[in-house]
Amino acid sequence: MKTTVRTVGQVSVVDLSGKITIGEGDVVLRDKVLELLDAGHSKILLSLEKVSYMDSAGIGELVACFKKAREKGGTVKLLKPSGKVEDLLQLTKLWEVFEIFDEEAPAVASF
Amino acid sequence: MPPATTVKLVISSEVRLVDVVHTASETMAGIAGFEEDDALNVGIAVREAVINAMLHGNRMDPSRKVEVSLQARPRSIRARVRDQGAGFDSGATPDPTVGDNLMRSSGRGILVMRAFVDSVDFKFLEGHGMEVTLHKKCVARKTTRSARPSTAAADNGGIER
Repeated sequence: MKTTVRTVGQVSVVDLSGKITIGEGDVVLRDKVLELLDAGHSKILLSLEKVSYMDSAGIGELVACFKKAREKGGTVKLLKPSGKVEDLLQLTKLWEVFEIFDEEAPAVASF
Repeated sequence: MPPATTVKLVISSEVRLVDVVHTASETMAGIAGFEEDDALNVGIAVREAVINAMLHGNRMDPSRKVEVSLQARPRSIRARVRDQGAGFDSGATPDPTVGDNLMRSSGRGILVMRAFVDSVDFKFLEGHGMEVTLHKKCVARKTTRSARPSTAAADNGGIER
């Protein structure tokens, strides 16, 4: 999985592409979010539009990132989950946990 | 019974090998006639079974093997995943979709398995580890999103490990 970070206002928008799976994407996601939090960037928007799918490890890492951000007084929100990712968020009922947006502008404005 | 195409894989408990099984499962689903999205569902379900076998069955001991048997028939696929662990009670795992479990960073594998294939059966083979059998039939699709996974596992108190 690849990540690119953009700063929009006070929000770090992380564009993810590929798959968030055990031993690879989950580690990349964790490292990137921790790096941002450690650097004082606590408003994080994960753009999932180009993520093809996740497994349970990837889903777990999303939750771990959410919790870690909250511990540091920040938050992680989600943008444009793709079909399979959306299915998994609904199945696991994490749709009710995360704030999820279809458009970037309102997502950024929500922080 | 229609002829079967069978693939058997024996891998050590290393997460970097999970993708090997995923790819084989998706390919076999394609051979069975599944469309791309349903084949991905099969791949994800088998992936979860293999992760469970490595993590919870074999405790990530690389000397312990995971055996995977994939059998494709026209319009159906069956996957058997066997570990070398001590077994577990699949009915005793907490529902990851309720209460505090929602915020756990693990425990969703069986939920995902059950959602992405038609049936998931666990059997402990004394002295030989746990065997998980997944089965899925290929159904005619009427819409482009008919391959969405069933939410029944979650709605019916789906269990997780």
